[in-house]
Formats: sequence, structure tokens, C-alpha cells
Amino acid sequence: MEFKLEAHRIVSISLGKIYNSRVQRGGIKLHKNLLVSLVLRSARQVYLSDPCPGLYLAGHPGTPAPPQQLGEPAAGPPAGWGEPPPPAARSAWPEPEPQPERPAVPEVLRTGDAETAAAVTGTGDALQGGEGEAAEAAWRRVEGPRETAAGGAGGPAGGSDVFPEGPRPARRPCGCPPGDEDTLSAAPRMDCCRTPRPAGDQPPATPPVCPRKRGAAGVGGGPAGCPAPGSTPLKKPRRNLEEQSGGAAVAAEEEEMETGNVANLISIFGSSFSGLLRKSPGGGREEAEGEETGPEATEPGQICCDKPVLRDINPWSTAIVAF
Amino acid sequence: MIPRLGALTQDTLWCFSQVKGTIEIGATEADIISTVEFNHTGELLATGDKGGRVVIFQREQESKNQVHRRGEYNVYSTFQSHEPEFDYLKSLEIEEKINKIRWLPQQNAAYFLLSTNDKTVKLWKVSERDKRPEGYNLKDEEGRLRDPATITTLRVPVLRPMDLMVEATPRRVFANAHTYHINSISVNSDYETYMSADDLRINLWNFEITNQSFNIVDIKPANMEELTEVITAAEFHPHHCNTFVYSSSKGTIRLCDMRASALCDRHTKFFEEPEDPSNRSFFSEIISSISDVKFSHSGRYIMTRDYLTVKVWDLNMENRPIETYQVHDYLRSKLCSLYENDCIFDKFECVWNGSDSVIMTGSYNNFFRMFDRNTKRDVTLEASRENSKPRAILKPRKVCVGGKRRKDEISVDSLDFSKKILHTAWHPSENIIAVAATNNLYIFQDKVN
Repeated sequence: MEFKLEAHRIVSISLGKIYNSRVQRGGIKLHKNLLVSLVLRSARQVYLSDPCPGLYLAGHPGTPAPPQQLGEPAAGPPAGWGEPPPPAARSAWPEPEPQPERPAVPEVLRTGDAETAAAVTGTGDALQGGEGEAAEAAWRRVEGPRETAAGGAGGPAGGSDVFPEGPRPARRPCGCPPGDEDTLSAAPRMDCCRTPRPAGDQPPATPPVCPRKRGAAGVGGGPAGCPAPGSTPLKKPRRNLEEQSGGAAVAAEEEEMETGNVANLISIFGSSFSGLLRKSPGGGREEAEGEETGPEATEPGQICCDKPVLRDINPWSTAIVAF
Repeated sequence: MIPRLGALTQDTLWCFSQVKGTIEIGATEADIISTVEFNHTGELLATGDKGGRVVIFQREQESKNQVHRRGEYNVYSTFQSHEPEFDYLKSLEIEEKINKIRWLPQQNAAYFLLSTNDKTVKLWKVSERDKRPEGYNLKDEEGRLRDPATITTLRVPVLRPMDLMVEATPRRVFANAHTYHINSISVNSDYETYMSADDLRINLWNFEITNQSFNIVDIKPANMEELTEVITAAEFHPHHCNTFVYSSSKGTIRLCDMRASALCDRHTKFFEEPEDPSNRSFFSEIISSISDVKFSHSGRYIMTRDYLTVKVWDLNMENRPIETYQVHDYLRSKLCSLYENDCIFDKFECVWNGSDSVIMTGSYNNFFRMFDRNTKRDVTLEASRENSKPRAILKPRKVCVGGKRRKDEISVDSLDFSKKILHTAWHPSENIIAVAATNNLYIFQDKVN
């Protein structure tokens, strides 16, 4: 169990680093991000191989195995893993607190692994915004295969390669004022970025939404942000857990996490990057495609088996190196 | 003074000589030294900093009166080599930090060096001017043009002495050849070409041509998603102008021969040590990433530095290094914390002494380590203001790992990880070392008996 927690913590730290690298002066350092993604992969492997049964999706971080929630997650499909919420789900999705800066990753983790999610939120503000940018870009990138999942990140730009060869642009595509990652004020940003988003199911035709914006709503649905109908029940158990644990701050963060930015990360990761994941180059294609279709084929009842979690974490590694 | 090739015998005592840089705590980040390099004679010592400046120190002539005091290094020239830039196409800022400086061998009165930031390499000419022409006919002494009608006689301008002025001029700018961040430059032994290496590519340049370069190594995969390793350092062989090596983030070194093919993607030799499975951890890959590679002066060996060790490889044996030295193995149990505070990504450099008998590299807490390859002795020294009295002998330091700490030892948990020595240089023929500690440059010499 300790291994899982350790792996969890390392995953969250790594994601924080990836985020920070995007706002660093001098552009993204390919070498450092590659190393961080390798650590992520190792942590993932440990995480998956640790035979701890208590891996609950929406549990409170640090809570080993909340048995009482096991039932509900079953109902909650791993839709959080990058699948666009069905239209009904959107309305069902409660409007979260305006904390758009919550990283998308935690959300994904939440559905897949409570501890991880919590840990990610634990990294706190560090994960603001930047993930969103990566998410958006990745989002665009995986646009093709994921047409149904395009809801969140804003189906933009055709599948053109939004990753320039060199360091990625630090600017948010949606044109929101740059460099604000640290000063998220939900309202204005949401306005500017959320407006173009249709309320409907269609993936927004407008370009990328800053993760922040989406955060609050979770609606436009980031692909992962709004899970299927089971999401609501998922929330409840978590809240219960949080109350139990008394970690109010963490609880708040988790709720924010759910909302939306998760989708961003999912999107980033949707594409393949399996080269890293499998240690040998060139083997990634099939796996990648498999992953991409995976989220679309939601499996109700799957709480946290290897596959969904795999979907979660594979993308991270890949996305990291992608940019 | 007869140059003495360094050997770390029991008799070698290192003494403080000089320290350059500000003392106050509020030193800016721009003052952090990012590279240190002696020239080929050791007369000049160049430093580059994060603010894009280059400072060159020159060793003063040793006076016959003070045989006990070897030449000191004084500022010779300071210039702004690189400025921050902005790549509008990619929306990213290009740091002005000087990543590397490499001297060219001196061929005339002027000195030439290459300096590089993340994207652009520049060739600088540093020359002295100690005479100036006087007695122009058409200009007066202030340079104003004279009315030709007032000129009644002709004279020949003469050169008169003036105060020494050292000027640095950029002679070549080699730009727009690197998509990724340049980590190394290396001057070829033919003195006509040099190479620059970034994360995925190595380019070969001719000093005279700035608008073209040859790409000699390209490890960028067709699908970036399949990227598994990057180039971390590269260097030309000191004598064979066709041979170079480059190291990777996976802990491997490739030796390439440019005669084999135009694109040296296929290595001639591949140096890799099998991983020790008992040491496996989350961070195994990070700590195996090589941060620096250096040929020995003889050209027979290469030295590599990864996070915890320094290794010496024989060019004729590819399957493992011939020597491995633990720099700070006590950090092995702290890798997770070092990962959190980013210290695990620090790129330490390593250097040979003039005779290839001693190697040196830096560590934390302003410690630096020397390993004598012959006697197998090693020593840990510290660059600190407390040890900065002239000719004060440096006391060896020791880090205690276990519970019981002796009087002079420092415990691992007390180490200051913000004080790191990443860049050091060794005089090519004497026992003089330059150690960069954040924004200070320390110069140590061995004790003159």
C-alpha cells in the first residue's frame, strides 16, 4: 500500500512539474520533461502492479479502501477517462465552485484513483492553468479519433499538429490574457472563454477553452470532466469521505478538480506516446489507437481496473513528452 | 615557475587564492555563473552567467619578486554576449543564459571564443588596443572634420601609446540552426569547424560560414511520441578531427566517425553499462542521465558524469567503464526529496586535470570532489567565504551518513542544496582550479612549498 501512496505522490509531483515547465522562462525543456514522464511511467507501473484492493475512484486521498463506496463507483462509468459526457450528464453535473484552475489530472485520477487525485490537488496551485494549455493543444491533436470526446477541449483546429517541433507556445490558444495562471479569477476568464461554447453536445467549434474556464462548469464538458450519469452518485461518497476525514481543504479541492479541467489532461493524453510507455520506440501505434477508442467505449461497472487507469496514465506520459 | 602537473598525492594541499563576485546576499539571478573555461594556455579564464554576460580574467605575469605568489587572475574584459530574445513564431522566450564557452586556440594576437545560449552561438574576438593613431590630416584630435581649406601641410599619422583597452567584438553569429536547446559546443581539432548540440540534433559548422551548417546527428523520431532519449552533451576528440562522442539521457555514450557517413546516426562505438537491478527505483532513469562528457587530454578515455557518479571509460571497451567514482552516494536514499525540489535535475560537469591523473566534479553545499585515478584517493573540499583567507589551506570535508556525527563532519540533512557547484575548470597544465559557486568564482591553487 505504501508503494501505491508513494507512486501516487510522485505522480502528482510530476504533473506539477510538467505544469510549471510550461510557464518557465526559456520555453519547455525537452530533457527535463522527458525525465519527468519517465518517472510518471515508473510510478504508474508501480501503482498498477501493487495489488491493493482498495483502489477506489472517488475516495478521499489517503483513505485506503473505502468499502462503502465500492458499490457506487460501479455505477459510475469510467467516463471520466476522456469520454464526453452524454448531454444529460451535463445538466446533472453540479456547478462547482469557481475554481477553474484546478488541474484536470486530479479529476481523471479521481475517477480512477482517489488517492492520486487527492495528491494531485495537493500540489495545489502549481497545477493551475498550464495543464489546460497542454490539454487544449493535445485536445486538438487528438481531435480526429476522438470526435465524440471532443466536447471539452474545444474541438478545434482540425487535427493539425499543434505541437511545434520546439517548445510549445506558452500562450493559451483561446486568447485569454497570458501569464495569469497564478491569478485566476474565475469570472472574467470564464466569460471570455466559455461564451463561445455551445451548451449542446456538439464539441465546441470554437478554439480551445482555457481549462480554467471550463473548470467551473465542467460542462462543456471536458471529455473527462463530466462523466456519465453515474457521476453524481460518485460525488456523494466522496463528500462523505471527506467529511469523515475532516480534510476540508482537500475536499474542496477535490470538488474543484472534478470539474472540468480534468478533461484537458485527458485530452492531452488521449494521443499516443507509447514510445515512452513501452520502452521501445515504434511500438506505440496500436496501443495508442487502442487507448483512444477506449474511452469512447465506456464500460459501466468498471471502477478501477487496470485498463481505465491505464488510459489515464498512459496519456499523461505521452502528452508530457508530446510537448 | 615550472608548471607542475597535478597529482593528488598526500602532499597536495589546496589553498584559497581568489574569489570573484559579490558577497551580498541579494545578488541577482543574472549573476549566477553558468559556465567556466580556461583557455588553452591557462592565461585566460572565462565565465558566462545567466544574464548573458561573459567575464574574462587574465593571469597577471608572475613577478620575480614574489615567487611565492603565483599569478593572480584579474578582470580582463567584460561584455554582453547574448540578450534575451523572443521567438514570435513559437511564442517563447529565449534565455540569454550562457550555456557554454569554448576557447579557440590562439593563432594571432587576438583571442577567440565561442559562447552560446539556448539557440545561438557567437564567435567573439577579444583584442587589445594599446596604441592609437594620431596626427590625421583631415580630422582633428577629437575626430571632427577639418575644413580642407585650412590645411596647409601634410603629415603622416603616427601610432602613439594609449591606455590598454580590451575590446570584444562579435565576429560571427551562428543562428537559427537549432530547434531545441543547445547544451554543448565543441571546437574541432582542425580549428576550422566546431559542433553545436541540442536535445535531438548535432550540427557541424565552419567558422567562416554562418548561414549554413551540416546536421551530423539527428535522433528525432519521426513520431515525437516515440521519443525516449535526448542528447545531453557532445565533444570532439582532442586529436582526431573525424571523431566525436555524444551522451544521452539514458546513460549511454556514442562515439561517431564522420568519415563513415554524412549523417552519423549510426554510431561507431556504443558505451553502456548494464543497470544494477538492485538499485532500481522510480528515479533510476533520471540519475542515469549523463550530464557531462569529456575526453581526456590524451584522447584515450572519456569521463561521464551522472547524478551520483563519475565514470571513466576506455575508448576500447564499450561494455562498462573502467572506473566508477561515487560523488555523493549518500543522496541515493534522498532521491524522492531531490526530485521534489528539482535538484535531481541538476547538471553537474566534470573536468580532467592536465595530466589526466585527477578528475574533479561538484556537489552540494558548495562541496566539490577530486578523485586521483592512480592512488584512488579522493577528497572533498568546500568553496566558502569562511575559507577565503589568502593562501588558507582548504580542509577536507566529510559528510556523515550514519547517526554518529563526528566533530568536523556535516550530516546529510544539513547540506544546503541551494549551494551547488555545477561548473568547474582545471588549468591545462598547473594545479589551479576555478570553481563556480552560484554567483562567486573561487580560484584555488595548490600550495607552493
